[in-house]
Amino acid sequence: MKKTKWLISPVVLWLSLFLILPMAIVVVISFLGRDEFGNLVIQFSLDNYARFFDSLYLGIYWDTIALSVLTTLICVLISYPLAYYIANAGPTRQKIWLLFITVPFWINFLIRTYAWVLLLRSQGVVNSFLMDIGIIDEPLKMLYTKGAVLLGMVYTFIPYMVLPIYVSLEQMDRKLLEAASDLGASRWRAFWHITLPQTKSGMMTGSVLVFVSTAGMYVVTDILGGSKSTMLSNIIQTQFLGARDWPFGAALSVIFAITSLVLIYLFNMALRSRHERSKEGRA
Amino acid sequence: MKKMKWFASTVLAGAMIATLVVTAGCSQKETLNLYSWADNFDPDVIKDFEKKYDVTVNYAVFANNEDLLAKLKAGGSKYDVIQPSDYMVATMIQQDLLEPLNKDNIPNWNNISSHFKNLPYDKDNKYSIVYTSGVTGIAYNKKYVKGEITSWSDLWKPEFKDKVLLLDDMREVIGMGLKKNGFSNSSTNENEIKKSVDDIKQLLPSVLAFDTDNIKQKLIAEEGWIGTVWSGDAAYIAAQNPDIAYVIPKEGSTIFSDNYAIPKGAKNKDLAEKFINFMLDPEVSAKNYESIGYSDPNEKAKPFHSPEYQANKMINLSNDEFARTEWLMDVGKTLQVYDRYWTEIKSGRE
Amino acid sequence: MKQKTNPLLSIHAYLVMAFIYLPVLMILIFSFNNSRINSTWEGFTFKWYGSLFQNRNVMDALMNSLTIAFTSTVIATVLGTVAALALRNAVRKSKTVLGMLYLPIVVPDIIMGLSLLLLFSQFHFPLGKWTIIIAHVTFSISYVYVIVASRISGMGKQLEEAAQDLGASPWQTFRYITLPAIWPGVLAGAIMAFTLSIDDFMISFFVAGPDSTTLPIYIYGLVKRGISPEINALCTIMIIVSVGLILIAQWLQNKGNRGKKASTLPF
Repeated sequence: MKKTKWLISPVVLWLSLFLILPMAIVVVISFLGRDEFGNLVIQFSLDNYARFFDSLYLGIYWDTIALSVLTTLICVLISYPLAYYIANAGPTRQKIWLLFITVPFWINFLIRTYAWVLLLRSQGVVNSFLMDIGIIDEPLKMLYTKGAVLLGMVYTFIPYMVLPIYVSLEQMDRKLLEAASDLGASRWRAFWHITLPQTKSGMMTGSVLVFVSTAGMYVVTDILGGSKSTMLSNIIQTQFLGARDWPFGAALSVIFAITSLVLIYLFNMALRSRHERSKEGRA
Repeated sequence: MKKMKWFASTVLAGAMIATLVVTAGCSQKETLNLYSWADNFDPDVIKDFEKKYDVTVNYAVFANNEDLLAKLKAGGSKYDVIQPSDYMVATMIQQDLLEPLNKDNIPNWNNISSHFKNLPYDKDNKYSIVYTSGVTGIAYNKKYVKGEITSWSDLWKPEFKDKVLLLDDMREVIGMGLKKNGFSNSSTNENEIKKSVDDIKQLLPSVLAFDTDNIKQKLIAEEGWIGTVWSGDAAYIAAQNPDIAYVIPKEGSTIFSDNYAIPKGAKNKDLAEKFINFMLDPEVSAKNYESIGYSDPNEKAKPFHSPEYQANKMINLSNDEFARTEWLMDVGKTLQVYDRYWTEIKSGRE
Repeated sequence: MKQKTNPLLSIHAYLVMAFIYLPVLMILIFSFNNSRINSTWEGFTFKWYGSLFQNRNVMDALMNSLTIAFTSTVIATVLGTVAALALRNAVRKSKTVLGMLYLPIVVPDIIMGLSLLLLFSQFHFPLGKWTIIIAHVTFSISYVYVIVASRISGMGKQLEEAAQDLGASPWQTFRYITLPAIWPGVLAGAIMAFTLSIDDFMISFFVAGPDSTTLPIYIYGLVKRGISPEINALCTIMIIVSVGLILIAQWLQNKGNRGKKASTLPF
């Protein structure tokens, strides 16, 4: 079946031209210096990478990872049952649900996030509602906190998790489930031993997308966090814009991209060993 | 499921047609590529210009000065008129990104008040002409803030815990700290900067949020009680919420401007100059600034402005207030020091 | 085939739906707010819906965004699916190619935007809609790829082999066996690509030319002055039109299926 392999060439060509080539420029920039106005200076230097190992930036990097892990976990917990529900609906309803879930994400990102401000602020809808029904007397401070940032991230990336999990659930081999129930396995046991392992690849894909996208998101921290918690993406942004330090920004991006790729590689390794095991099991 | 196929091909065909229509929509008229913040002009004034010179104005938008600089620096963009702020004009001049203006084509330049000519960031107005200007001060809500606010140090009062709003801008916030301590807002002395930053770190527990663009909404909706606000925004906030008062602190503060400039390599420099000249016409100018509510540096436009506009103390600052202000200067390599402190302030880490 | 669904699952699904649509409801309400900026409720008005259609800038931006999103979705979906299919049979997937396919996901937006701009300006490629489409295709390919590939990874080859044994041509096998089997993945990938494209700001901003302002670029440009309720009105219309189209498509499909046994083919 080797003959289909040439089909990869258009994609490889496209990505080499519009991704690898420009990225090569960024990698080169990450080893350069800069003058006081931010113009690039042609000189080889590792300073930009060395600067990252300052406790300030390492700390921010750590905050970013912690937030991304938390967002990913919550997204899995919310999205899995939803995707399960969708995958078990009739074929037309499946498409309707998928589209209904993504439509709100076609309207502008800023507008959606500002809508959360209207909901969460101290005189906002949620606080007024809770005060009207008498649960609280004083408005809760929800906005401009870490919790608000987390909520905004989860909200933004739910579709990134639902879509891949749905795709893997939808193709599940249902005969196995039927067999399991014929053999008297409880639904929960059947889910745990049959459904979950078969949908790992969807969950992994979703987790990669959510994890990396959360780490790369900067607007949610600004708007819902009141700009008070800085993430790696904010720093990269500032280096290219306000601080006019392209080499440092480029170095941070290279570090970010490489660590993410390593992570994805480890995910894929874990996945492949699982996959090969299950293939043997089925044979 | 034939319909699905039908649906898919309709969508595809629709996309193709849309592409064709949009690409074919280029007119033969001369085009002015204007690059600014969105809604920064009265749309009617732009239409008047298009009609008068029989041209099309292509109004593209950016969100802040830094985006504008990064975009121009990377090259390839073809804009005729851009609107950088004061410090950005200085930076762009240093980086050779601006085209000198031909004043012979902009006779209306003479209409501008002498306060706003030959400003420190562009000494002889060789590259830029001021569009609007303002000052950073303190806006506060009299419902919650009792007593007179006169100084930057009032922000540090413990009763404002969780109610203070600061601009989400490195130079503005650190500059405010420097001013509070009696230094220049563009200090390059590391001890002065450190002292001011330590001061600002004391203020952090009181800060509700850092925000530049939506600080207006936060004060109007009374989320915050007191904050650092640009004078033009203060006028807007006060119009929406009558409890808002505004003061330029006694220690002095930062003055800023937005400007017209022509980037290097502009295709249509003549038309760009015509546009700037048109906008500086007294009547056009009055119409434009009445609509957008910013301060008008055009002296000759005064008679055309409404009494309400002229009476607005936040749009038209007094000479006394202007005397307390200082322009931000490029801090050169000290920028790295500012940047590091700013990261510390924003992340709460050391 | 259909299992009985646990009522808790339905409740959960509708709750998540409510969570997703809660901000949309706010946008809808504030599109009728009689105030220039979205801060406090000042009374009911329809005026933003009127002025929206007068606003040339918004309409141009919307047109640009839709054209770009449709075009880039089609290209990226085809390329991403082809890549996933091509790599399917490779026993040891080349790490370089895989890394390449994942790279757009892990590269921060600003880097992607700026580096593409540097590339285009080096080669004097005029900035405009096509540069934005190229950029969007570049990042969307990866998302389509990962979703389709995760579908393929759980798929057997028995059916395709059987079809070929029975004398089906490779094209017939692809058209009647492979494509139907991966179709949900392709559809999900396309939805993802469209969503990413229509909502992208940073990358579009850098590679946009003077006449290709997209809706997100326009809206970001508005933040300094305050985003006007016209945009809320626009978003409300976009939601209503999208939801309407989905429902019409479903209705057409149901009508077409009536009296016919539901087919498992995608079309």
